[in-house]
Amino acid sequence: MAGFADLSLPQGLDKKSLQSLLEAAAHLGYSAVALNHVVDFKEKKQEIVKPVSPSELFPSLPIVQGTSKRIKVLTRLTLVVSDPSHCNLLRSTSANIRLYDIIAVFPKTEKLFHIACTTLDVDLVCINVTEKLPFYFRRPPVNMAIDRGIYFELLYSPAIKDSTMRRYTISNAISLMQICKGKNIVISSAAERPLELRGPYDVANLGLLFGLSESEAKAAVSTNCRATILHGETRKSACGVVYTVKKPRKVEEEETPLPACKKAKTQA
Amino acid sequence: MEPPAVPAATFERRVVRSGAEHHYLRVRLELPDGGARPNVAQFKQLVVSALRELHGEVGAALPVDVLTYEEKTLSAILRVISSGLVKLWSALTLLGFYQNRRCAFRVLQVKPCGGWTASPVCQFSL
Repeated sequence: MAGFADLSLPQGLDKKSLQSLLEAAAHLGYSAVALNHVVDFKEKKQEIVKPVSPSELFPSLPIVQGTSKRIKVLTRLTLVVSDPSHCNLLRSTSANIRLYDIIAVFPKTEKLFHIACTTLDVDLVCINVTEKLPFYFRRPPVNMAIDRGIYFELLYSPAIKDSTMRRYTISNAISLMQICKGKNIVISSAAERPLELRGPYDVANLGLLFGLSESEAKAAVSTNCRATILHGETRKSACGVVYTVKKPRKVEEEETPLPACKKAKTQA
Repeated sequence: MEPPAVPAATFERRVVRSGAEHHYLRVRLELPDGGARPNVAQFKQLVVSALRELHGEVGAALPVDVLTYEEKTLSAILRVISSGLVKLWSALTLLGFYQNRRCAFRVLQVKPCGGWTASPVCQFSL
C-alpha cells in the first residue's frame, strides 16, 4: 500500500518550526511531505530560486510512526498565475524549475484553468478554497487533465481556522466532485503549525464529507499522492524517446519506382 | 476391507446482517498551552459544539456518549451510532479552537463494537 503523504507544507517558516512540523507529520504517520515554495506573479520581480535541499535544512529526519523508515521530504513549487504571460516561465527550460520535485499551478481565471489542464506541464492544479470560485468547472478540461495524469489539490487547513473558509472549502470541493467524479484528487494541508495537521485517516474521512467514496477518499491521501510524486519524477527524466526499428527490405523489387503503398498491394 | 466411513465435516455459518450498531472512537485532545483542562462536562460540550458548528442542529442532536474520560491525558472513548460516525469524525477533525485556544483532536482508534484488540482502521500509540 502506498504510504500517506502530505504534499503542502509552507516553506517560509524558520527552521525550528519546520522541524516541529516534520516531527508532528512523522508522528501522525505521513511517509512523505513536500515543502511548498509559493511564487506569486502579481508581485513584481519574482525569481525562481533554487530549492533548498532538505538534507541541508534537517540533519536528521524523524522516523515515521509505524514503520522504521525516515520521513521523505520533497520540494515543491507553486505558481500563482493570474495572467497568461506568467505561464511562459513554465514553457522555458529554466534550470531552477527542473530542480523541484513537484510543480503545481494555481490558476485564477477560467482560461488559465483550461490552459493548465490541457497544455501546461505540471503535476498538480490547486483549487482555491479560501474564496468563492470565480468560474465554474467544465467537463472537457477536467477530463483532459485526468487523462494526462494531472491531479487536483484541495487544502483543508483553512477549514480548521475559520468557519467561512469551511463553507467555501466544502462548496468548492463538492462542485469539483460533481465534474470529476472523485478521480484524481489529492487532499493536503497547508498547515503552518503542528496543531493544524491532521492524521491521514482523519483527512480521508474529510474526503467522505466532500463527496468521495471510501476508497477514493483513502486514495486521495495515499495512492494519488504517490502518483503525483512519480509524475514529477517522470518530468525529470527523458522528455521523449526515439527508437529505431529495422525494417526488412526485399532486394529484387528495389528498382521499380512504385510508391510504398502500391508496392505493398502488388507484393501480395 | 473398506476403511470406516468418516462422517462428513459439518460447519455452521452465521451471517450477522445487522452490522455494528455503535462505533467507538478513542480520541485525545491536544491542548499544548498550560491553561485549565476541561472536565468531562466541558469535554462533552466541546464535542457537541463541534458537531453543531459543522453539521448544525441535526448534528448536535446526534446521540454521542463519553464512555471514559481522563482529565490528565485529555483522552476519551466516545460512542456514537454507526450512521453518525462520519459526521462526528469530521466534526472532530475540523475543530480548531477551544475557548480561543488552539487545539486539535487526534482520533487514535475507531472500532465497530467490542474489544480493542484489533482495529480495521488504524492504530496509533499514545
